[in-house]
Amino acid sequence: MSVHDFWTPFSLEPFLNALLIGLSIASIWLVAALGLTIIYGTMGVINMAHGEFIMLGAYSTWVMQYFIGIPWLLCLPLSFIIVGFIGWLVERGLIRHLYERPLDTLLATWGVSLVLIQSIRLIFGGEPQYIDAPSWLKTVMVIDFIHIPWMRIFIFFLALALVAMTIAILYRTNMGIQIRAVMQNKEMAASFGINSKRVYGLTFAYGAGLAGISGAMFSGLKTIFPDMGLGYVVEAFLVVVTGGGEVFGSVATAGIMGQMLSVFSYFTNETFGHFVLFVLIVIFLRFRPQGIFTPSMARR
Amino acid sequence: MQRANLYHDKRAQWAVYLLFFGILAIIPLSMDDPFTMNQYARYGVFGMLALSVSLVWGYGGILSLGQGIAFGMAAYGMGATMQMQYQDPVNDPIPSFMLTNELEALPTVWEPFWNTSVGIILAVGVPVVFFIIFGILMFQARIAGAFVAIMTLAMLGAWYSMAYDMQPFTAGFNGISPPSAFTAFGVEVDPYSNMIYWVSLGVLTVLTLGSKALLQTKFGTIVQAIRDDPERARFLGYNVAYYQIVLFALSGLIAAFAGLVWVMITQFVSPTSLDIFFSITFVIWAAVGGRMSLFGAIFGAMFINAAQSYVGDEFQATWLIILGAVFIVVVRFAPKGLAGLFEYALSFVPYRVRETPQSRIDVSSQSE
Amino acid sequence: MTIILELKEVTKAYDAYKVVDGFNFQVEQGELRCLLGPNGAGKTTTIDLITGRQKSTSGMIVFDGKNITGQREDKIAKQGVGRKFQVPAVFKDLTVGENLQVAFSKNTDPFANMFRFGNKDGRQRLQQVFELVGLEDRLDILGGNLSHGETQWLEIGMVLTQNPKLLLMDEPTAGMTEQETQKTSEIFNRLKGEHTLVVVEHDMAFVREIADVITLMHLGKTLAEGPMREVENDPKVKEVYLGSEGITDAA
Repeated sequence: MSVHDFWTPFSLEPFLNALLIGLSIASIWLVAALGLTIIYGTMGVINMAHGEFIMLGAYSTWVMQYFIGIPWLLCLPLSFIIVGFIGWLVERGLIRHLYERPLDTLLATWGVSLVLIQSIRLIFGGEPQYIDAPSWLKTVMVIDFIHIPWMRIFIFFLALALVAMTIAILYRTNMGIQIRAVMQNKEMAASFGINSKRVYGLTFAYGAGLAGISGAMFSGLKTIFPDMGLGYVVEAFLVVVTGGGEVFGSVATAGIMGQMLSVFSYFTNETFGHFVLFVLIVIFLRFRPQGIFTPSMARR
Repeated sequence: MQRANLYHDKRAQWAVYLLFFGILAIIPLSMDDPFTMNQYARYGVFGMLALSVSLVWGYGGILSLGQGIAFGMAAYGMGATMQMQYQDPVNDPIPSFMLTNELEALPTVWEPFWNTSVGIILAVGVPVVFFIIFGILMFQARIAGAFVAIMTLAMLGAWYSMAYDMQPFTAGFNGISPPSAFTAFGVEVDPYSNMIYWVSLGVLTVLTLGSKALLQTKFGTIVQAIRDDPERARFLGYNVAYYQIVLFALSGLIAAFAGLVWVMITQFVSPTSLDIFFSITFVIWAAVGGRMSLFGAIFGAMFINAAQSYVGDEFQATWLIILGAVFIVVVRFAPKGLAGLFEYALSFVPYRVRETPQSRIDVSSQSE
Repeated sequence: MTIILELKEVTKAYDAYKVVDGFNFQVEQGELRCLLGPNGAGKTTTIDLITGRQKSTSGMIVFDGKNITGQREDKIAKQGVGRKFQVPAVFKDLTVGENLQVAFSKNTDPFANMFRFGNKDGRQRLQQVFELVGLEDRLDILGGNLSHGETQWLEIGMVLTQNPKLLLMDEPTAGMTEQETQKTSEIFNRLKGEHTLVVVEHDMAFVREIADVITLMHLGKTLAEGPMREVENDPKVKEVYLGSEGITDAA
């Protein structure tokens, strides 16, 4: 790439296509960040192993497909359950003991991340693996100038469905009420008989499960490899923190971030787009560390 | 007479430090293996990185996951300096990777690197200035704790993308490989010689002893007070943000020197110097060795890396699993790392300190 | 008599709720003023506003002739305002000796402090404070390992070392024994005159020992102000503390 090719001139149709891709990017980040949003928003836990839960979802899909022959679509909910269970174990074994120590949680989960990546590498080797998605998803949708792979469209709608399901659980079910109660005030919730330990365990498991299913989804899009999670964790965190740890915040943030990246990438290229995006987020967080929607926590 | 812990005796500490560096200094005299010297020189750099983390995190209470920013920036600065040492202004003014990228002239940003002294100053100065600005951004807004960690991580990611992307300037993912070794005052610093080892060790020694002395000043005490309770420090009249910015910049300075020496040793710089995973690894070294102890952090860095090389390529994955598990255990149960365990062990050694009323005020100090 | 601290119509509101409501407060130099009132009356918030921990919604705060409204905490502290917290705040990972060293904050510039190794000039003062708060034997103990009473003393010691013109003490005797409370009242009585003290308290016996004037706050405003006897017998006060023996019971 030479310096002269840095800026791409504007032309409508490719630009519109870029906007649509932006929606796809947004949906990927959203679903990757959704589980983390629940975990961080409810428990204030910064789970650096979240990317690895995504990776585990992808690998469990591969294992189920390769060794057992389960069709890809069925692997999705199964990944949710498998990784959800793993998440539950991690919460019980480690996270539970570090609740008052957010920085230590961040570090300890990084250790978990390391262990998970290397374990997968040890068991399955470091080479990228391919997942076989249903053939109808492997084509590209072409309408006039619009070129979008069907898989991306599928992921987009599945992401929305997962968000809807999460909101439904949080606001319509008993468990959801308990989660939100604990989120607001742990002690008070306990005095109403809500077992916060159980709530945290299930919440973490749910968040992990969401990561798992997103990993399964992504496996249809790209090859999988042991440290693929690392590519999601930073973005996912930025979505969560900028969104203030709330589902609506994450939706808004992912949407904005995805579009911004796509637009920047259109005009320049992907890595520079990342650079600008990161810098903007850093600046944003400096002025609104509480996120997009949450009320200000500035010195009162 | 009062019962105290030998671990906290200042003179004993200095003795250990001096002994440590003394022993390290004479190692080359007993071996004659340039390859090993290069290897050991790298450990010196890892020590510097752990030192940087220990200072800002252990003593300052600021968990920065972005020390790699200073390291990487300085590495690129050094790479540019060394590259331009090789280039000839008349016959061969433009580095080959730029020619491959269809550049017709040396970019303005690269011009200052013709001059070695300027190049070095930029290599160290630019990261420090960046850290000051970034520090002002974060600490004046009273950003703390996990948010600092995330912001430093994001910023590192941004710079990684930048280095990767700006191919004509940074050679992208291929990296810059200055063909000749670093030359200063007419002397070539051969990366496979005793000299590179002593350069690395020398820089590490100066930075470490300087940091230790600094921590024993009132500045050091105040910085630790701020770590414990920033609000209380404010109410005593201290501008907390100012102290944090200064400490953060100092840690960046140390990491920058690490980057400088690194490129001297490896004659190569690429976006991997700005890799997120790598930057977090410094934290792991410092945590396992003991972040509240400069010596502990350095020792942790050296020990872990030595063990890593010893284990060999075949068992890397297993080794990393063990390291990850140890890290989890340390975070959960032994936040002061190996140094903390040592401190605990020493508390059983009978030791009393004789003091005069005046010396009580000076002697009483928990910092290491 | 100079007024060293003045609050003019100071209000702190959270949306519609006013914790401090048009509060007017004047303290003379050298005075020992006690600030009393039931929980939620706005006492601690007032201290927060003076020290800069919170920003007032409206009103003005003047200290030593200067308008300090809205200034940063450390700037206010440097002008001579010291504070002792309700829940004792000391540096837990520093020793008692180090805590007091930090409190000796004549020069707060970071670079100047890089060249100071142990305070030669502060030594005398530190020695005095050590003896006064009775912690000479505990110098090497970590702040976090002290008992509650000792932590209170350490914080008092730190504020004394800081040597501010105005000392704001928030429940300094909480958790203290009779003896310790007695000692505290002696120290306070010694301090007033040269220093100005504003003490938020609940222990009535202690207040009786030390107070010149008391200000009784209620719902963010002044309910009554004056010498102890006057306030005790004030009918308004008796009304608020229904059916009790006035404020003597107030806890």
